[in-house]
Amino acid sequence: MAKVEAGMEGMVDMYLFETTTLIDQLDEVLLRTEQANEFTEDDINEVFRIMHTVKGSSAMMGFENLQKLAHKGEDMFFIIREDPSKMKDIGFVYDLVFQMSDLFKAEIEEIRDNPDGDPTDFSEMIAKLENGAKILKGELEADQLDAAPAEAPAPAESKEESAPAPAPAAAAAGGAGNSVIRVFFEQESKMENLRAFLLLGKIKEVCDVIDWSPRDVETNPDTCTKIQEEGFLVTVHKDDEAVAIKAVEESVNVDTYEIVKPDGAEEKPAAAAPAEEKPAASAAAPAAAKPAASAAAPAKKTEKPAANAGNAGGGGGGKQSLISVNLIKLDQLHDIVGEIITTESMVVSNPELDGLKLESFQKAARDLRKLTDELQDTVMSIRMVPLVGPFQKMHRIVRDMKQKLGKDVELILEGEDTEVDKSIVDNLNDPLMHLVRNCMDHGIEDDVNERLEHGKPAKGTIKLSAMSSSGEVIITISDDGGGIDTDKVLRKAEEQGLLTRPMNEYSEREINNMIMLPGFSTNTEVTEYSGRGVGMDVVKKNIEKSGGSVFVESKRHEGSSFIIKIPLTLAIIAGMEVRVGDIIFTVPISAIKQSFKIKNDQIIYDTQGNEMIMIRGECYPILKLYDKYALKTEITDFEQGILILVEADGKSVCLFADRLVGEQQVVVKPFPSYLSRYNLKGEGLSGCSIMGDGSISLIIDVNSIIDKQ
Amino acid sequence: MAEMDKIIEEQRELNANKKTNKKEDEIEIAKALTFFIEDRTYGVEIDYVNEIIAVPHITVIPGVPYYIKGVINVRSKVVPVVDVRSRFGIPEREYDDKTCTLIIEYRDIQVGIIVDTVREVLSITKAAKADIPALEKVNDNKFIQYILETKDGIKMILDVKKLIFDDDFDMRLGGEEE
Repeated sequence: MAKVEAGMEGMVDMYLFETTTLIDQLDEVLLRTEQANEFTEDDINEVFRIMHTVKGSSAMMGFENLQKLAHKGEDMFFIIREDPSKMKDIGFVYDLVFQMSDLFKAEIEEIRDNPDGDPTDFSEMIAKLENGAKILKGELEADQLDAAPAEAPAPAESKEESAPAPAPAAAAAGGAGNSVIRVFFEQESKMENLRAFLLLGKIKEVCDVIDWSPRDVETNPDTCTKIQEEGFLVTVHKDDEAVAIKAVEESVNVDTYEIVKPDGAEEKPAAAAPAEEKPAASAAAPAAAKPAASAAAPAKKTEKPAANAGNAGGGGGGKQSLISVNLIKLDQLHDIVGEIITTESMVVSNPELDGLKLESFQKAARDLRKLTDELQDTVMSIRMVPLVGPFQKMHRIVRDMKQKLGKDVELILEGEDTEVDKSIVDNLNDPLMHLVRNCMDHGIEDDVNERLEHGKPAKGTIKLSAMSSSGEVIITISDDGGGIDTDKVLRKAEEQGLLTRPMNEYSEREINNMIMLPGFSTNTEVTEYSGRGVGMDVVKKNIEKSGGSVFVESKRHEGSSFIIKIPLTLAIIAGMEVRVGDIIFTVPISAIKQSFKIKNDQIIYDTQGNEMIMIRGECYPILKLYDKYALKTEITDFEQGILILVEADGKSVCLFADRLVGEQQVVVKPFPSYLSRYNLKGEGLSGCSIMGDGSISLIIDVNSIIDKQ
Repeated sequence: MAEMDKIIEEQRELNANKKTNKKEDEIEIAKALTFFIEDRTYGVEIDYVNEIIAVPHITVIPGVPYYIKGVINVRSKVVPVVDVRSRFGIPEREYDDKTCTLIIEYRDIQVGIIVDTVREVLSITKAAKADIPALEKVNDNKFIQYILETKDGIKMILDVKKLIFDDDFDMRLGGEEE
């Protein structure tokens, strides 16, 4: 049987996205609670809700294996929720659930890559989860986790017994052809009965209401508690479901709502634990996208309100103010905006307009410019996503490695709400993972005594921080471990034949960055995590692919930091156009320190006849662009041209060009794939862009042009 | 080459279906756009040609082989251009108003090729098509796919893949396919 049932293909993307998000959330909750060593009611409810949603959507998609898996996980948490006192010795629950979430991730990847494959058999894991549930119920001893599954599917039964249908009237009315909507109001809204009555009136406006429960909301204020706990149930005809939901969505104070399945198969999470303080929080519309769901579920969750608010973008409370869009469509939109900007300057600065007095045209052109700028900003902001996702994933890696390596390490996240372009976030996952692993494996000392000797706490710290500064995101991964042993690195590099100069000519900075050369590894043993000499150079390559750079700073016995700098967006940069002969180059404004004219007597020559210039007590080499790219130009005299001082990674050089043309927002286009086999990046060019007059400018890659010096 | 033959074979079948009333040898299996380089006539199969434009402003790119003249802007697309003269090793000449750029598309890769003048569009029939064993010793035969005998002489139909890619790239491309 194919994994994906016929007719469901269109939904698969949505399902995969939603489930991935939920599983990530699950990991997050588990990590947080494991760290805090405490499972609050809210946490239990959230885990339960996640499992429940995953189960529901898996069932809808026909992924029976995943549905079963989630079901067993749900069972386990059902027991915990029933009796939180069982939470004492539950280290094994974490392991089980982590295993389960890994299986989920693997299967989701399978479905994505190989939708026609057979569904994976999870019976082993399911058995484990069943046993886990029994251990919780005291039917099995804690060490019998892997015992053969007993015949009776006990957990499922117990749930049905203990969860009576909360509103028989409504459930009965919800027979074939009818659908029941369960509505929860906001926590603090008060007078739920009246709000329910108002809502009822609203729904009655748009369609016929067959039944509702509790029935006496208008007259009986005591129904408040019942509505708080079990929600307000409205039964409408199936065909009216959509309009009724719309009415629910549109009314104020509604927190969440869900459709109760007519056959009663839907568990009622809110009703199952009537004693809970905040039962409403545990129910969330299964269809609600992640941000809405996470905002709705743990109402008391105070750890990351900023991140959640950022995610939700003002949406929340179960109202669907978010839509998910295929990234391809965004890319298309983005390309079109790029074309519009280019076309706009083609129109506005058309040479045929020269010398004409066009007052109203100029005004219209200014308005157009303003609007295209806004359009560009908006499109950019649509593509911006916070770094929370990739950052949170690191918790999991640290947790797993902590156990395997026996090192006590704490991971601190900072600035995870920094936003960057979606495509960059995608490219960041692997490098971050490699770097964090590297810090865990090589950075933090194996021997705790070594740490204590150097006056550091026994517990190691890895810090992951992000900040944006002038069009760039700076991500730092630092540890307080042993730092890089420069002598060892140098020796190793020599052994591996990676040195091109005598050993004593390398600066500390250069040596530190050697660890990112291809094939370099200081680890004498190959471990599960690192030591194969791949990794660091892959990190470097991946980051360079996004137009960024990475370098290492390290102090012996104090720790090391990996600093990644990535442009916020790849596509549109502010550039300075400079002319050399009949070629236009674009120099990214962010790299330009200053541009200036000089007199010939200011030039200093070194022994090889290379030109240099002194500015404010510092000496900078001069790079003649016409010379480097063998271009024909009449301006070879320094006094006639212009010098542009550019800086990247703390190194500077003066570019010599004929003249400045002007500043412009340029759409970066990669070189055509036909040219990709030539090392244009090595030539100091990162791409090209089409300018207002239709000609093509070459974008200078300041980083590599300096390195070539 | 096997792949090329397959494409032509398919093309032939396609056309054959359209014009079944003709004799098999006379059936048009493809069309070729012919052009001059120096005083010789060459051609490329027209399926590869997207459009014919004058030579626009070319932006020179450093660090590429001599025959890649740079990049041009074709309706907001950046397209590299190859000078066929220098590709053949014939001395280059100034571009004039007869010089044309053919925008060729081969496996989603667009490349402009610069030729002296575009001449005409010819029908390729099976009867007129001939292989090139006799030409093996000729210097530029590595670019030629087959020859075409017409009333007014022999035209050489160029192999687009070999025209725009180097030998080393050929191998890599071949490797990806198999």
